[in-house]
Amino acid sequence: MNQETEKTLAFFGRMTANLTHEFKNILAIIQESAGLMEDIMAISPLAKDKYQERFNNSMNTIKNQLQRGMEMASRFNRFAHSPDHNSAELELGETMVHFCTLTERFARLKHITLQADSQNGQEIKITTNPLLLYMVLFYSLDACLSVLPAQCEIRLISAKKDENAAVEIACTGKQAPSPEQFFTGLRQSNAWGELENTAEQLNAELKCNTDDLRFYLILK
Amino acid sequence: MNDSIKVLLVDDEEEFVTTLAERLEMRGFDPSIATSGDQALSMVQDKAFDLIVLDLMMPGIGGLEVMKQIKSANPEMPIILLTGQGSTKEGMEGMNQGAFDFLMKPLDIEELISQIHEALGKTSA
Repeated sequence: MNQETEKTLAFFGRMTANLTHEFKNILAIIQESAGLMEDIMAISPLAKDKYQERFNNSMNTIKNQLQRGMEMASRFNRFAHSPDHNSAELELGETMVHFCTLTERFARLKHITLQADSQNGQEIKITTNPLLLYMVLFYSLDACLSVLPAQCEIRLISAKKDENAAVEIACTGKQAPSPEQFFTGLRQSNAWGELENTAEQLNAELKCNTDDLRFYLILK
Repeated sequence: MNDSIKVLLVDDEEEFVTTLAERLEMRGFDPSIATSGDQALSMVQDKAFDLIVLDLMMPGIGGLEVMKQIKSANPEMPIILLTGQGSTKEGMEGMNQGAFDFLMKPLDIEELISQIHEALGKTSA
């Protein structure tokens, strides 16, 4: 197995493990809520009326979790198809939302908020390699998470920069490091090396704004 | 026979832990909930629990670290771990570090109750 294949498999492994963990949490909540409804019904056939509020709460929880599970499954399916084509047309803002939903848990585990945004709400269509794009976004996130402390926020913003489509990665937070510490930390992280290599394969340029905690992936 | 068994349930999925607490309460337990490792550590200082059910993977302080800190203050506290991972590796590691047992999510409440009784040296009804 060559190094690139190993890298891609490792990326898919981390994403898949993260998503299956989310699925298990969703199923656990559905199971407990359904179990609670069953418990209430088992008390007596009339219990449903007596415990109507608990019953309704459980029903709503089941519905919400099913919705969460279905959305996660759709996004997981779309992610799983990302290696199908070397080139595909994507809307960048929607891709950011998709990516953030898939990876929000990585940030949550570090008490960091991850958010997708778009510059002026504009639609930006790009034709690119979807798998490599997900990989550069993942390495960008991974590098930021290795440097930022809890309670910070990471925003992935679809934008235009010098006529090119771009992703702006902007980090903020009261306890955030100085720009110098931030970029030194990023460059020392393993993810940053992977990001540089993968960005090169994607023909994307990495541009750092050293005045604040912000860098760009310019997609050419 | 579950009367007065004080169980602390720790999991960052609030809806899961709230519903599980409600189900245990309907079976006569006295459950309390914590939705983070920090909250759990603070609660064990304020109240005496008979047993702790602890999720392994949580934001901030993870389950193993929480267990380590609880065990250092109270080595006899029985702890049952919950894991949403596909493999048993993390659960086994937890047992090596002093957990009574581990259960996989989604869990079977009767199995959890049976584990609680076993951990407390009681016979299941």
